[in-house]
Amino acid sequence: MNVALRKLLVSSCIAPAIAVGASAAAGADNEVTISHYFTGELGLKILQENVAKFEADTGYTLKDSPIGHEDFKTDILVRAAGGGLPDVFSYWAGARTQFVADSGGLSPIGDMWAREGLDDVVAKAVADSATMYNGERYLVPFNYHYAGMFYNKQVLADAGVMELPTDWDGFLALCETLKSNGVAPIALGSKFRWPAQFWFDYLLLRTAGPEYRAALMDGSAAYDDAEVKEAMEIWRGLVENGYFLPNSNADTWTDASDKVARGDAAMTLMGTWITGYWNGLGLEPGVDYDYFPFPTMREGVANSVVGPIDGLVISSNVQNREGAEAFLAYMMSNADVQSHWTSNYGALSANVNVDSSVYNDVMQRVVGTVAEADTFAFNYDLATPPPVAEVGLSMFQRFMDSPADADAILGDAQVAAAEAFAN
Amino acid sequence: MPVAIFSVFVVWPLISSFYYSFTDWNGFDPNYEFVGFENFSKIYKDRLFASAAINTVVWMAAAIVLPTGLGLFLALLIDSRVPGGAVFKSVFYLPICLSAVVVGQVWVWIYQPDWGLLNTTLSYFLSEKFNYAWLAKPESALFSVIAAWSWQQTGLSMVIYLAGLTAIPSDLTEVCELEGSSWWQKVRLVLLPLLAPATVVVIALSVINSLKGFDILFIMTEGGPFNSSDTLAMHMYNESFRKYYMGYGSAIAVVLFLVALTIVWLYFRQLKKVDEIYS
Repeated sequence: MNVALRKLLVSSCIAPAIAVGASAAAGADNEVTISHYFTGELGLKILQENVAKFEADTGYTLKDSPIGHEDFKTDILVRAAGGGLPDVFSYWAGARTQFVADSGGLSPIGDMWAREGLDDVVAKAVADSATMYNGERYLVPFNYHYAGMFYNKQVLADAGVMELPTDWDGFLALCETLKSNGVAPIALGSKFRWPAQFWFDYLLLRTAGPEYRAALMDGSAAYDDAEVKEAMEIWRGLVENGYFLPNSNADTWTDASDKVARGDAAMTLMGTWITGYWNGLGLEPGVDYDYFPFPTMREGVANSVVGPIDGLVISSNVQNREGAEAFLAYMMSNADVQSHWTSNYGALSANVNVDSSVYNDVMQRVVGTVAEADTFAFNYDLATPPPVAEVGLSMFQRFMDSPADADAILGDAQVAAAEAFAN
Repeated sequence: MPVAIFSVFVVWPLISSFYYSFTDWNGFDPNYEFVGFENFSKIYKDRLFASAAINTVVWMAAAIVLPTGLGLFLALLIDSRVPGGAVFKSVFYLPICLSAVVVGQVWVWIYQPDWGLLNTTLSYFLSEKFNYAWLAKPESALFSVIAAWSWQQTGLSMVIYLAGLTAIPSDLTEVCELEGSSWWQKVRLVLLPLLAPATVVVIALSVINSLKGFDILFIMTEGGPFNSSDTLAMHMYNESFRKYYMGYGSAIAVVLFLVALTIVWLYFRQLKKVDEIYS
């Protein structure tokens, strides 16, 4: 259609986006615009400290517009609609970045990557899995998280648990011990769906392996396959044995974390951001809480770890490319910045020059767990295209409501996922 | 100036939505195709659209009954000069001054299964621990949100009815009292017919507000659990911003717009009829 008309329609869709775009265009030569979702009190403070350091060291000025995590998903679309994307924005590596790259919303950063020697800075496993899309480099991994079983040390001690489980039988025995001591073994806060995905991810990865899971994520395997049914059957056993606190769909992830912190439940499968949350509540890592990796379930299946990677990308309508590239390079390659950011934010750095001694005792061991893993897998909603992820996330919530209907739920999910992949 | 503002903020977005409803735009990609009526035909096959449409109708029906009935009841009570009527009027009107986000969060706490006000009260009367998860069960999530929304809307209905009652000539009610009519006879035979214009306004506002009931739903359930409390507005949001089907989401927006337009048309038609009766 007529390009001018199309632009007019697009830009008029959401008026505030016009203002954002106009302000971006009107920016000074040394001004770099950025939008991100690191809006928690602690995260925002640490990021702003690092931004101030960048400005002082480089002479660029950053115009920052932080937006809450959930609102960010909508806001970035609105900005794209108005052609008003900021120069730089944070985004989740994996299927979501793939979607934006496919839509032409990103600028390649391959030249900057080579010029700055980031191959020698970014851990290879992370660089391979998170930065390349359609054969081009688009993203620098600002930090990453790991999902593990975080538990209340006092609760396990009170139940007489001396040894942490490493295999599935040990895990079931732990749950039984806790239950017989009157403590709910597991808390899950699936009100907003995503926390349940880690259970699906690990059960599938530990039984069917990462290759099958990758096939399910790209649509070449089906949700009603025997592999998925088996994983859901194991999950169902845990729920029906009363190992999960009831009403998980009524709780958010912070509700579930609070229940573990208070001792209402013993453990929760969550990302390392829980350490930042608990530390903020005054809990001491390694003293009040600790973690153990999701137990192995089957011999010969690769040891996968699961988690998200927060990236920084440059938009295709970047106004200040030089400044944007300088910002990405600085934030990624400066070990001091990475140390300060990740150690305070409850995240991990993909910068190989960051000394893990900057982390607390728990996070140091997490670094070791990730390093020992055979593969790093994105969590479910970052591993499969967004429309399919919507199907799966609702499926997990429905399963937690009525686990006995697992087969019917998987059948429905397969129909909906096939439709989503066909679109 | 007002026309320009209205055009930028209402007319153009409206036209844009109509335009995108005929495309397969994903919200990001500037290259998209015209797909004709494909998005609209997809609506008929979309099971989530069907359940969202049913939920929207349920919400609209509840909007006619709950805020209208409760607002009328409270207005009649306050108008009958009960002690502290002015205080009650302020108390019942207060929720409408709060944002839907605040109201939604307050009711999330009221419905909280372990320590929420509702379950704590029920546990007291039932003499056993009651921890039903009102917002987490597909059977009760939508109705729980509607109850919270109605609590907020009732104050507005009450005020409109109170204004209507003030406009009724006092000699009519005095005649009723002189002839020995009961309170109920006075309400049924005199007040309710004369309150017809107010009732039209209350019902129309409640139904239109029910179509806009996105914010409170988003705060309380996000349409969950597993889409069981989705309304058309929530479904439109999910398709557009979570699944990136901006073209399809625009088609749902167009349907929602046409429904709202029909209701507004019916409202003005009824208002005209009432005007004709009274003139």
